[in-house]
Amino acid sequence: MLQKAILETRRGLAAAVAGGVRLVPLENIRASLILSRTPIVTPDMSEFDKKFYKYQEELERRLMWTFPKWFYFKKGTVAEREFTKAQKYPIPSHPGVWFPKGLPDIKHGRDRRFRQDIILPKKAPEEESGEMENETRAIKLNSRITEADKKNDQASLERKLARTLYLLVKQDGQWKFPTFPVENEDVPLNEVAENGLRRVGGNKINTWNVSRTPAGILKYSNGKLLDCEQSESPSVKDSSIVRDYLIKSHILAGKFVPQDKQGVEEYKWLVKEELEPLLGKAYFSQVEFLLSKV
Amino acid sequence: MLFGIKNLRGVIPRSNSVCRIQQCRLKRSKAGLSPEAQKVVSQLSVLSAGRKMPRLIKLCNEDYVKHRTIMKAWSLERKNKIEQQKITLKKQYESMKKASEDLKFASPKLFTIANEHEYGKRFPLEIRIPTDYPPRQLWYYNYVPRQKK
Repeated sequence: MLQKAILETRRGLAAAVAGGVRLVPLENIRASLILSRTPIVTPDMSEFDKKFYKYQEELERRLMWTFPKWFYFKKGTVAEREFTKAQKYPIPSHPGVWFPKGLPDIKHGRDRRFRQDIILPKKAPEEESGEMENETRAIKLNSRITEADKKNDQASLERKLARTLYLLVKQDGQWKFPTFPVENEDVPLNEVAENGLRRVGGNKINTWNVSRTPAGILKYSNGKLLDCEQSESPSVKDSSIVRDYLIKSHILAGKFVPQDKQGVEEYKWLVKEELEPLLGKAYFSQVEFLLSKV
Repeated sequence: MLFGIKNLRGVIPRSNSVCRIQQCRLKRSKAGLSPEAQKVVSQLSVLSAGRKMPRLIKLCNEDYVKHRTIMKAWSLERKNKIEQQKITLKKQYESMKKASEDLKFASPKLFTIANEHEYGKRFPLEIRIPTDYPPRQLWYYNYVPRQKK
């Protein structure tokens, strides 16, 4: 529905433009790039989520049908014998024996009152030869916490794998999303932003921009950021306002390497919460909803 | 006539030796079923509840209240999350709209270019879908841009 609404507004706006007179000088229009690195691993679960999933899993296991051993293991085979040996069987009810938790109700070697634990027979430990070539090697999971996390290396793309990282640069002594002036009116804003990124951050970078249309706007008057109410009041002259149009894009491969004499002193890859102290409250509140919580 | 004779032959008891061989063949399975039938029975037994069903959970009143509390908490959390997402989406939409309106005012030409349809634009294949655990190579650094002809 939202998409449809966007399309309709686009059409309406596009139709409305038919040779208007431009009041804003071109040097006052700039393109800002919100460059993000999408998460590499699934989001971290909250404590509540973890506990809830555990509860659900336990319920499901309790209500599961008995494992049909006779279907998976042919009778009299070695595999069947090993499997049978590995299982823990419940104690059957016996006349004259008192069971404190009630009489067992055993069908197919499972006490139907409780969950069934299926134990797979242990295999012999594998030889450590030919790490990668050995196709039957045990599966080793990589850590979700990387070296960059341990060192808190904020310039690394390998930090906080479960979160979306945003590129922040120090331009003209101020931390912000990389911003580039529009020089030619024939070049769309997204290309201005992406070409600018390659100029300051090197050519070896692969990005994918979501849309040509800006995702947001920031207005400055005399180098000072205007908040939403101020920017709409008629007291501020339009020709003196500098406009930053925010373009969204994703980095897919490559690395941002600051080039010499291009105005970028430092850069950082940060998650949403880390942006606020660097961007300042006024700036952050205007872009906060454009950034992902995950 | 001929058919009648053939059918009759089937009914007539055969010699003792033939009967014995047939009995031996049938004796293999315990339940008196042929191996094919036995296979079907064991396959069906996997699908049917039969004796494999666990007992129903009987919760005492206190446990039932606990269960209901847990489920309620979960649904509330989900509801809040969805509401938050809706609010964020609305804000993003408003922001886009505002920016577009402003661009139309500031530079109609840039606005027209921005709203042109991009034919053949596809979602990139290089983008990674999140997995539970990271890959061995975390990031591909040696990217070389394609040469434009």
